[in-house]
Amino acid sequence: MNNLRIRRFTPLQRLFHFLLILSFLIQAATGLCRMYVETAWGQRLGRLFGGYDAALEVHKIVGILMIVGFIFHAAFMLMRVNWKHWKESLFGPDSIVPGTKDAAQFFQHLGWFLGMRRAPEFDRWGYWEKFDYWAVFWGMVIIGVTGLLLAYPIASSRLMPGWGLNVAFWIHRIEALLAIGHVFIIHFFIAHLRWRNFPMDRTMFEGSADLHAVHHERPLWIARLDADGRLGGLQVPEAVPIEKGIYYVFGLTAVAFGLYLLIGAIVNAPRITW
Amino acid sequence: MKVNISGPGRRFLLSAALVFSMLLPPPAAGQEEVSSAIRRYRDREASTGFYEQYEVRPRRQQALVEIPGLRKGLMPYSPSAARVRVRTRLADSHQGLRFYRWLRCETCHPGQGKDIHTVRANLTCRQCHGTEPIASIKHYFSPMNPIRRHAYVCAKCHPGANASYAAYVVHEPNPARVATLETFPVLFYAFWIMIGIAGVTFVIFLPHTILWGLREVLEKKEKPNRE
Repeated sequence: MNNLRIRRFTPLQRLFHFLLILSFLIQAATGLCRMYVETAWGQRLGRLFGGYDAALEVHKIVGILMIVGFIFHAAFMLMRVNWKHWKESLFGPDSIVPGTKDAAQFFQHLGWFLGMRRAPEFDRWGYWEKFDYWAVFWGMVIIGVTGLLLAYPIASSRLMPGWGLNVAFWIHRIEALLAIGHVFIIHFFIAHLRWRNFPMDRTMFEGSADLHAVHHERPLWIARLDADGRLGGLQVPEAVPIEKGIYYVFGLTAVAFGLYLLIGAIVNAPRITW
Repeated sequence: MKVNISGPGRRFLLSAALVFSMLLPPPAAGQEEVSSAIRRYRDREASTGFYEQYEVRPRRQQALVEIPGLRKGLMPYSPSAARVRVRTRLADSHQGLRFYRWLRCETCHPGQGKDIHTVRANLTCRQCHGTEPIASIKHYFSPMNPIRRHAYVCAKCHPGANASYAAYVVHEPNPARVATLETFPVLFYAFWIMIGIAGVTFVIFLPHTILWGLREVLEKKEKPNRE
């Protein structure tokens, strides 16, 4: 099984993730540079985008593009559902919709961490992947709605009292900090920095995962594919070295930039007016 | 040809000009208040857009003034008596303060300079509150009075600002403090609900991530045939 890989993501799914990486990093950087404008770090970060005011324009434009992308993605996902067999499609093993099994696997996984239980056998999606996916959904709704209210304050204050902008600002800020913290600490660590995936899991960039590793971590998925006779059809060769190099450079640059933002935000947190 | 008007003719012309000027609209009505370069104020408001003519009305027709704990017989202080004692309703809000000219705003209002307008936009107090004598925000003719704050203050930087927009709380209370529950309860609840969501997420997933990392380090790493 040397260098054999199994296809996990379609080119469109990879494109969605690539655009999400780019837009999320830009939004995090432009948002933090404004929040930290009282500090030298925030001012340096702002200069990357043309300064304090220009950063807001970038933040608004990219934010609107994110919302458009989110709507496209939601439409794409709805089209992927087999509505004739919607129960199986939405709650079957290939679905990203969480179920009770995910909760059970979460606790079994915790037991394995503590050396008390066997490691759970995952299917196509692990519970942490489902959480990451749906966290983006709830985050996009909360940040997107409050962001639109704040981006067009005159119009939004015709729909609600002006003090609603104070509330929208804090909701936007806390949800954004939650997203930044979750992605730059938890997502980066689980996807790239833990021992099995270190230094980077390039599955989402390349579209395919190492078959041996998947066999080890997601045996239920492999068993299903094998039983259906679909396993062979999903096997793909490894990317050529130059392609792999591009994935590593892009992925690790994104991780490094995210960690730079995270560390800068934590270190400078006491120096700003909240 | 030189025209020399004098005597009755001159008086007639002056009288006619005076009568004509009385028929003209008053200057304030002719100077429509425009708070946006794009749209006139009246396009955005239900009001006529003419201030200080017939539009200006206090929000409450009768002053709701009371001094807690102070009564004269069965009745509280009369509104006019209370009015001169409540500092937020004075024409000069700092009236009677000793050594006022030597004081700085932040000496008595230390927390008011810690908001986005001051810290980020570098606004000074007087850019919104006006020059001396600084009228109380609830004084009838104050630019900061909510009936005209949007037009006289907010619209200077935010074209098209409407009355609702001016309800934005510039000197926002700290949303985490219990006192905010009294002054701005929606902000207090929104803040703590969001902190709760963030807290639960991190309380679950941070230890989970650390334990997962430790478990994999401690586990004898099986070497897959990857790179």
